[in-house]
Amino acid sequence: MTVPATLDIRPSSLSPDAAALLGRVVLIVLIAGALTAVDPGFASVSNLLNMLRQASLLFLVASGLTLVIIGGGLDLSVGANLTLSACLAAAAIKTTGNPWYGVAVAIGAGTLIGFANGLMINRLRLPPFLATFGMLWVAQGIAYWFMAGQTIYGMPMSFRYFGTGFFLGVPLPIWITLMVCLACSILLHRTTFGRETYFMGANQTTALLSGVPVERRRLLLYVLSGLTAGIASLVYLARLNAAEPGIGEPLLLPAIAAVLVGGTSLFGGNGNIVGTVLGAILLTIIVNGLNLLNVAATWHPFVNGAVVLVAIIADLVISRRRSGSR
Amino acid sequence: MRTTRSTRCVLAAVICGTLFNSAARADGETIAAFTKNQVDPHFEGVRAGVAQMAAKMKATVKYYTPTKPNNITEGMSQLEDVGVTKPNLMLFMPIDAKAQLPTIKRLIESGLPIINYNDRGGDAPYLSFVGQDDYKLGHDIAKTLFDHLGGKGNVVILEGVKGSTTGDERKRGFDAAVKEYPNIKVLASQPANFQRLLGMQTMENLIQQFSIIDGVISAADASALGAIEALNAAGRKNVAVVSINGVPEAVEAVKAGSLLAIAEFDGFKIGCVATAVGLNAIRGQSAPKQVTIPGAIITKANYAPWLVPYKDRTCPTPDAYIAK
Amino acid sequence: MSVTTSLQGKSGIGQFLSAIPGAGILLILMLALFTIVNPRFVSQTNLINVGLQTSLLLMIALPMTLIILTEGLDLSAGALVGLSGVIVAEALLAGWGVFAACTATLAVSIAFGALNGVLVAYLALPAFVVTLGTMGLMQGIALVLTNGDPVGGFTPAIEIFYRSQLWFIPLPIAIAAALYAALWLLLYRTRLGNYVIAIGGNKDALRLAGIRANLVHLAVYVLGSAIIGLSAVLLIGRTNSAHPTVGIGMEFEAIAAVVLGGTSFEKGQGWLFGAVLGALAITVLRNGLNILSIDSSLQVVCIGILLILALLIDQARKQFVRRAT
Repeated sequence: MTVPATLDIRPSSLSPDAAALLGRVVLIVLIAGALTAVDPGFASVSNLLNMLRQASLLFLVASGLTLVIIGGGLDLSVGANLTLSACLAAAAIKTTGNPWYGVAVAIGAGTLIGFANGLMINRLRLPPFLATFGMLWVAQGIAYWFMAGQTIYGMPMSFRYFGTGFFLGVPLPIWITLMVCLACSILLHRTTFGRETYFMGANQTTALLSGVPVERRRLLLYVLSGLTAGIASLVYLARLNAAEPGIGEPLLLPAIAAVLVGGTSLFGGNGNIVGTVLGAILLTIIVNGLNLLNVAATWHPFVNGAVVLVAIIADLVISRRRSGSR
Repeated sequence: MRTTRSTRCVLAAVICGTLFNSAARADGETIAAFTKNQVDPHFEGVRAGVAQMAAKMKATVKYYTPTKPNNITEGMSQLEDVGVTKPNLMLFMPIDAKAQLPTIKRLIESGLPIINYNDRGGDAPYLSFVGQDDYKLGHDIAKTLFDHLGGKGNVVILEGVKGSTTGDERKRGFDAAVKEYPNIKVLASQPANFQRLLGMQTMENLIQQFSIIDGVISAADASALGAIEALNAAGRKNVAVVSINGVPEAVEAVKAGSLLAIAEFDGFKIGCVATAVGLNAIRGQSAPKQVTIPGAIITKANYAPWLVPYKDRTCPTPDAYIAK
Repeated sequence: MSVTTSLQGKSGIGQFLSAIPGAGILLILMLALFTIVNPRFVSQTNLINVGLQTSLLLMIALPMTLIILTEGLDLSAGALVGLSGVIVAEALLAGWGVFAACTATLAVSIAFGALNGVLVAYLALPAFVVTLGTMGLMQGIALVLTNGDPVGGFTPAIEIFYRSQLWFIPLPIAIAAALYAALWLLLYRTRLGNYVIAIGGNKDALRLAGIRANLVHLAVYVLGSAIIGLSAVLLIGRTNSAHPTVGIGMEFEAIAAVVLGGTSFEKGQGWLFGAVLGALAITVLRNGLNILSIDSSLQVVCIGILLILALLIDQARKQFVRRAT
């Protein structure tokens, strides 16, 4: 029912994708402008960087998820994956004293969980929602068991640089976000793998019939989602300076919301990674703004829900109008 | 539960064994001990205290924690389920005092002796309440900070979970102390839900909003530790931070000087005393209606006892707190 | 209906085995294991516990089955339970009668159900996103109404209602059973039920047949929300207080129950009884692990493994049947 955006060859000035992205940029600028009018401190470089740094944490969890969703899947285990990877990495760093072991462990664990998800979905033909929901419980349980009610804290300074450091005046998590975003963009828009991902998401059967190795592609998508969860776990660990088995669980729904607010459709086959960046910024700027306006925290879920609804309805209106008088 | 991480793999191998053993052991009384989550090390302290005192008094302990942190419905189901196993004593802390009260009352009516510990569990005929005075902890720690600041300055408050007894009472204590110091200005008071990440992000936003912050009062260690990370990252090194709890990580921060002081909310002591009071009561002694464990102010001058790992600490006896 | 179609062409024990879905097999195994290890598991008090806990889960899982049959999903179910409870409690505290309070909560539930339904049915937006958004709205309203605090101190009639019995059966269990019977009749014995199942299979075909498919689709969401909203009365009877965040996570538990029982997200394949099996499997697992005092972290792992295992059994059976025929 949704026409995959990439197949939409139209001579008009702006593709629907670009229009949707532009709409989000305009929205962010409008909100930022309004907040600056209320409190000029909002537009200070330090506040903007602070906000982007918070958004980048959210984006990193959501990035791999975006790829999976474009390919027509879903990964509910990203939050639990982040928890487990962070806990294992923290233990590795504490016992060896060498941050690189932590990096290896987090990326290894994250990727492995993604790989297991992919296998369950491919080989055992489990629906993605359930396979990854089951994985959520398993990973979370292992994290609880491994930590035994404790926290692991006090990471070496060299490692904490990932989360707290600056490079050319810009916080490192923002650089990492840029790199991950760039990598995902290239993957999606400049490779066969990317084209096939959109194709698969739009119509799996046609993709299979036209020779796309669907299973292998799908496995890789879940592995990538696990990988980015592993990378995100390192940034979280470095930012928080501690691992506890409760850090990832509250991140799942915001991450999914960031993907969806970014314009990626859960039906698969359309969307892009820049949208997710904008989605993460939008959700963060709103919380930041509500705090700035001294709105009670009890309102946050309501506003977040409203943003999700407004974003999807606006997209619908735009796409209906563009597809002409149907 | 209380094993080093290295022995965990061995433990995994014998899980099937314990599965069948756990029901068979029958020496001494069985205690069912409830805690609210597996995330906060405070509750690990509680469980360690219960374990030590139970071992000393020759009773067996079984631990119950919801699989999702602080989940009310799950906590209720767990209460109902455990009632069936008919333990000799139950140590109960509410996740939500109002919600769990009907179930607790029914369990007490059915003849199960229950000690309420850590958080106040509402108006039910418990054998006893063992805990601390959260209002006083909040009041004392806020005064410690204000005195340190010379009675004047700008402070922010990181509150606990709204609606929880501990969170609300501590907040009431903070507010009372603020009233006593006319030159202390509260810039903002926001919930950080006893969480580290929320403590950090709330602090990051407050740093952007206020150019001068002299002090931070946090309702729990985890959010204070998050706030300290945010303050350090922003280069605000001379902000005095105080909190409540005294988990090992926070005590190390006191030692290092990044945390000014902690009002002691000692899970280990609460666990020890609650177990002792409960076992004494079901063995025929009369139980005091209430045991309030005083909380020390942990500072750089006296932190050492709280750095000792839980398993190496020695349980205090209830007498120390009853006969004042 | 995957489970019944798998019966074709089989005979004897093989046929019997292949008729039991994965959740059913695991349920039988768990019952046996828990009973052997601790006989108290089958005591009357515990069976009532299991029954009560299952019936509360079923109050969400049964309407969720209808929604999933239409290839939909309702993530806002848990938030709606919280909001409805808060509305009933606040209304009672404001001096409304029990009936008026229930009508108010029913109205709000229907309004939110209609919002979900319109966005999903008429605008063809993905149910996951729509209900994720409305979940935020409902959770937010519940928090704002209560300022995040639990609400208690209303008439004890609600708790008495929850604790009362019909003959010897606890009322919540009787209500869940009645709801099952009503939904079964609706789904399998009325034309509307046929349409509901057809929406999941092929909505366009239904529309071409001259049925107002969108309206049927909308009705499923409204009906689902109405049931879920009213079920909050039972929940606040259980806790004698309303808590704005009490329902968070219940939606996932209910979805898990539905799918464990063999209902699939695709093409409207499934059956109502599956929800009962799934809800029982989840409740029995949690209850049994508590009674055996299994460490909480291992409980978390066990739930994940149960989910995957039940699905695996179903997959294996399907393949076995396919090979045999």
